[in-house]
Amino acid sequence: MSEYQPSQLATAMSRRRFLLESGGGLGAVAFASMLAGDPLHAADNASSGSTKIGHHPATATNVIQIFCPGGLSHVDTWDYRPVLEKRAGKPFDPDGKLTFFASKPGNCQPSFWKFRQHGECGKWMSDLFPHLSQCVDDMAFIHSMQSKSALHGPAMFMMNSGFIRPGFPAMGSWVTYGLGSENENMPAFVVLPDPRGLPPGGVINWGAGFLPAVHQGTVIESARDKPPIADLFPSEGFQLDETAEDDSRAFLQSMNRRHAQHRPGDSMLEARIASYELAAKLQLSAPQVMDLNQESKATHQMYATEHEEIGSFGRQCLLARRMVERGVRFVQVFCGAENTTAEKIRPNWDSHEDLPRDHGYWGAILDRGASALITDLKQRGMLDSTLVICTSEFGRQPAAQGGKGRDHNPGAFTSWMAGGGIQGGVSYGQSDELGFQVLDHPTYCYDLHATALHALGLDHERLTYYQNGIMRRLTDVHGHVLDSLLKKS
Amino acid sequence: MFVLPAMSQRMRMGFLGLALMAFALPVYGESPKVDFEKQIRPLLAAHCVKCHGSEANSGGLRLDARSLAFQGGDSGKIIEPGKSGESELIRRVASHDEFEMMPPEGERLSPDEIGLLKRWVDEGASWQETEADRAALHDKRLDHWAWQPVAKPEVPRNADSQWGRNPVDAFILSKLNEKGLSPSPEADRRTLIRRLSYDLRGLPPSLEEIEGFVNDADPHAYENLVDRYLDSPRFGERWARHWLDIAHYADTHGFERDMLRPHAWPYRDYVIRSLNEDKPYDQFLKEQIAGDVLWPEQPDAIAATGFLAAGPWDYVGQVETKSDVLRRAAKADALDDLTTQVMTASCGVTVNCARCHDHKIDPISQEEYYSLWAVFAGVRQSSRPLDAVEVQNYQQTQDQLKSRMQEVRSQLHKLLPQTIDLADVVGGGLGDGTGVLGQGIDALSGKTVDAKMGFREGIAINKFQVVSSPFIDGVVVPNFSQEGTPIASNGIRVHDVPQNSGLTWDAIRNGAVKSQFTLKLGGTDFRNPEHSLLMIHANGAITFDLEKLREAIGAQTLTFSTQVGYFGQTAINGATASIYVDGHLKSQQVGIGARDGLIPVEIELPSENQFLTIMATDGGNGISHDQVGFGNPRIANAHEYAPSSEEEMQIQALRNELETLEGQLESLKEPQQIYAIASETPSPIHVLRRGNPEDPTQAVTPGTLSCLGLPDSLGTMDTPEGERRVALAQWITNPDNPLTRRVIVNRLWHYHFGTGIVDTPGDFGLAGGIPTHPKLLDWMAAELLENQWKLKGLHRVIVTSATYRQSSVHRPESDKVDSENRYLSRMNARKLDAESVRDSVLAACGTLDLTMYGPGFRDFDYQEAYAPIYEYTGTDRPESWRRSIYRFIVRTTPHPYMTTLDCPDPANLTPDRNVTTTVLQSLTLLNNDFMLQQSEHLAERIQQASPGAPTDQSVKAFQAVLGRLPTEQERMASTKLIEEHGLTSLCRVLLNTNEFIYID
Repeated sequence: MSEYQPSQLATAMSRRRFLLESGGGLGAVAFASMLAGDPLHAADNASSGSTKIGHHPATATNVIQIFCPGGLSHVDTWDYRPVLEKRAGKPFDPDGKLTFFASKPGNCQPSFWKFRQHGECGKWMSDLFPHLSQCVDDMAFIHSMQSKSALHGPAMFMMNSGFIRPGFPAMGSWVTYGLGSENENMPAFVVLPDPRGLPPGGVINWGAGFLPAVHQGTVIESARDKPPIADLFPSEGFQLDETAEDDSRAFLQSMNRRHAQHRPGDSMLEARIASYELAAKLQLSAPQVMDLNQESKATHQMYATEHEEIGSFGRQCLLARRMVERGVRFVQVFCGAENTTAEKIRPNWDSHEDLPRDHGYWGAILDRGASALITDLKQRGMLDSTLVICTSEFGRQPAAQGGKGRDHNPGAFTSWMAGGGIQGGVSYGQSDELGFQVLDHPTYCYDLHATALHALGLDHERLTYYQNGIMRRLTDVHGHVLDSLLKKS
Repeated sequence: MFVLPAMSQRMRMGFLGLALMAFALPVYGESPKVDFEKQIRPLLAAHCVKCHGSEANSGGLRLDARSLAFQGGDSGKIIEPGKSGESELIRRVASHDEFEMMPPEGERLSPDEIGLLKRWVDEGASWQETEADRAALHDKRLDHWAWQPVAKPEVPRNADSQWGRNPVDAFILSKLNEKGLSPSPEADRRTLIRRLSYDLRGLPPSLEEIEGFVNDADPHAYENLVDRYLDSPRFGERWARHWLDIAHYADTHGFERDMLRPHAWPYRDYVIRSLNEDKPYDQFLKEQIAGDVLWPEQPDAIAATGFLAAGPWDYVGQVETKSDVLRRAAKADALDDLTTQVMTASCGVTVNCARCHDHKIDPISQEEYYSLWAVFAGVRQSSRPLDAVEVQNYQQTQDQLKSRMQEVRSQLHKLLPQTIDLADVVGGGLGDGTGVLGQGIDALSGKTVDAKMGFREGIAINKFQVVSSPFIDGVVVPNFSQEGTPIASNGIRVHDVPQNSGLTWDAIRNGAVKSQFTLKLGGTDFRNPEHSLLMIHANGAITFDLEKLREAIGAQTLTFSTQVGYFGQTAINGATASIYVDGHLKSQQVGIGARDGLIPVEIELPSENQFLTIMATDGGNGISHDQVGFGNPRIANAHEYAPSSEEEMQIQALRNELETLEGQLESLKEPQQIYAIASETPSPIHVLRRGNPEDPTQAVTPGTLSCLGLPDSLGTMDTPEGERRVALAQWITNPDNPLTRRVIVNRLWHYHFGTGIVDTPGDFGLAGGIPTHPKLLDWMAAELLENQWKLKGLHRVIVTSATYRQSSVHRPESDKVDSENRYLSRMNARKLDAESVRDSVLAACGTLDLTMYGPGFRDFDYQEAYAPIYEYTGTDRPESWRRSIYRFIVRTTPHPYMTTLDCPDPANLTPDRNVTTTVLQSLTLLNNDFMLQQSEHLAERIQQASPGAPTDQSVKAFQAVLGRLPTEQERMASTKLIEEHGLTSLCRVLLNTNEFIYID
């Protein structure tokens, strides 16, 4: 039998595995830099947490991603299609050849809201967003987004992980895998689900897939009466006073240290000892982040935090800002939940029956929270280094479903970005005159992901991880950085 | 003006470049013909073959073999003999366009060299085939070690060594010697029993086991322990977990509508049983791939095929969507998942990399990949009975019971006051219990239906359908309309139908409708045969013919009585129940909800009335499950009727018999189902261009990989479904297939030592790891075959080896040479995996329930919804204190405690788990309810045994959790902790120690 020369792939993998599993001391612990996982930077950046550690200089250090699950209608919001207005009421598919996800197409249905031009750039936006439309000069729109699936679950997975199947790491996981954390006292990848429930596909949307578990999104509970992080403290009935916790920890650590003394050279043991110290720090820092009382009245008003309907999303956005301030690398905020038990208003953007009702409701929520976030970040000088992304898993059809609804449209939709080195007031690609399919520069989530990683100083082709025979990437084998959206330096 | 070629930038004008080059070239005179071997082959080798050769064939082109060079690349021929001007080869080497020039990087051809190449083409491109061409054609990838046959190597003899207990050690020692390393001393007995216990059973040894082993004077004490553990039922539970990782088994579908698979567990039990029985591995594989075909009568072989249905399945894409494109995409993904699972699990090949193109690294073509799809093209995930005989017996007994019940009911009916049960009528009966429970009438077509139906497409609103039934006039899907809703065959219309969604689900039934939330309402349990229930899944209405009912009852004045209720789940009160007589509204309950319970309604029906209509509408919300029921809907003679006393006795006797029969029917155990597969006629499979299901190219027949040199055809287009899988199973378990055996022995090694001899247990291809001990791997693979594919013998050889028994303490001198310990100069210390942590906590705290087999325990609350909701709550229910292998695994909502502890996502095959150390793990082990509850249970147990004696208590806590006595120092410190903060605090801390979480 021939003894093969190790291929490059195998060498890179075993080195990576070693670094991950044997830990390299604190290098692999918890929220401390996981950059050690990236063989490209293992040597020089093992402990650093700054933005210098990417593949190239970064324009953004943090990301806040707003996700609108259910399928946000581009033709009623960001994508002005005047021809659709002219065709109002005409058959969309005269030959009857098309079948959408849940229906046959109805007639052409123009936007339910009037479009107007805004800002210096003259961007068209619908009246659904009276506040966000004031931010257009900071926003960059991608009108030629497409998805490989018209089903919520797979399309959600695709937008979050680049693959329509479950089991792949979310963008936030890849980013923390590549860059690590800026603050070891806080999780690097935080998720703020809608208080109404989890999005379609559930927690898999922020799972670490095959990446080490440390990279999974940590759900932060924003309801005031709940601990922000699961198991941060013992639940009611088990609580110990502070001295008991301190004494217990001291006893534990002394046991662990004696145990490690007899096992010199085993870095796993050291890593675990350190993880208990970091846990104590997280117990102090997490509640502070959650304490919105530290914010001014004006800030609360801007985010409408006390409003009965839109307040919860405002609070999520405000929390996102506070987390980025404290060095959380990637915050994902959900604006909508899963299609759960029946409600009069859909629990997300999936407006099959009554788009004016459901988008009307969710539009007001997104408008206030997202605009406040951009404005607030800008006022604080944080927008330059914080990349804000807003997306949905797909768009909605320009044809009507039933009377007032729209079916899923994976053929064209819009995402936007702001801050973090992204140029404002620009648009990329376009859908056809009706908003049905992409007309030019078709792009899947890969280009959005590649561009976001680029802004963070990461090369999407070099951010890889070995899994079952493949060096996996967030962008699979696709993806181009959308240069025209980047600020010219 | 001439632009120097070197300066041209991004010129997309190849012909100009070429023209310029031609101009720049020296003009040749009558020089001799170009010699290919001397002048051209070296040129190609130096500049082209790196990318266009056996290592890589960019653009589908190779220039290292004559036949391939003249064949050209993806875009056609590149050499036109005699015509350099038409030869792409010349154009590209001469081009300066950055997208076209060749080579794109590195040293360019000099003008002389280009001239030479051009002249060679013009002279006819003479290229005599030589050995070099033939050698180049040989695919070097086929020489890869893993594809070669297994030959049993000789056990090495290591001179002057006392170390070693069996052949495994000889191979290990020989490598250690080669690397200048030496083995470590044997670990002490405490360490050994703990290591062995976790490795073979996934549980810590009990205190008694530890003391017994430590004090065992028998020189074979260790070997005896090994045998005991291998024979323990815990062995199968432990090792089944490894196999289920590879099968990515779970108990729900996954994806958006993550529905329950209540009958997936027989597969899990099959794996446990098979491993405990030491079933030959080839048999184990055959059963899982084609057990239903090979041994259709054996329940175990049916259970085994749960393997083919263990992975995720997208209900929305496969079933719910109306779009065929989306359905094809979902089916394609499912086929990819299945093919990958079977081939990666058994053979360690990454066939899925050949889905969009030929495998980039291994010699696996795209066509081969799709020929594997063809093997599984007729496999559909499905629930099915486990045992055909059981089904037959069940049906027979059931039929007998039912037929006798029918007779009794009919006799009873004759004796009883005349009433007609309208639910029974809907079930196809005469109102006397002769109808079929669950049967119904389709409100769209008026036809009889058995199977439950979901959302109904193509609804025609207000279209009355006549029903052919003795007492039913017809049915309609009603909605408010100006024209009115026809509700009877004589044309009566009603104009006050409540406005509703205009949609409908399922049907009008005798008994439960589809996904009915409950059969109990207002204290009445409608499963009780005393009661009957006419259900209408809104929106729907049914009209009965009163004339005919009168004839049957033999009375003129009738009464209709029923109890109306809402049997759905929605909290919103939307459903409305209406009752019309001849089109006049007689009773209406608007917006009823579960809290309204049962509302009694009684309507007198004088002789002039013709039609009775009952109607359910959904209040306008088409999403909710508006399941409206009419309990005990009876038409009766309005006047009393009294039976004689003799008749009364007969009635009582018949009722008693009926009750007995019903009891028998109820206690009849339904045949066990399993979530496995149904075999269908295979759909034709094509190679899909770029893996796109909408872009099929040539059709493929069932087949498999060719790189092993075994026959790779598994049939023709006409080969029946089952035979295709049988053929693949035989190919996989063919003793001449070297991968199957190497892969499984490597998996065993991987789980015993933490890293395999090949450190990529799921990839034995060219991108996978290189075996550290190829000969040992083959020796074990050969042993496996000699042992009739039985695995326990190999386990025994491995764990009784001196290699396995080494101490795990690091030695700096060895770490320097072999930091990853790939050559095993010591044992690897390990961290407990998620399941072992959980099981050990239960074991240490004395709460572990060792009940084996059966449905998994659910430590969550389940709420049925469009996308079912799983909420983890039930950690402190004793029924969830079973071993983790019996956990009901939810795909989209994995258990946070387990996930945090590195339990893998069952969306993926996981041949090699991640092992991490994170802050959230520390928090979870400190503060998770499960940990604190269990700490309390342990504290209570100790408290009962040693009340009020902190010193004794600390000793007991150490023994329970760590299996040893505390040191003096530890005893003092822990006693203090108990005195100041309680025994629970100590228990909690001990469960968090590295000593508990790590195995030496």
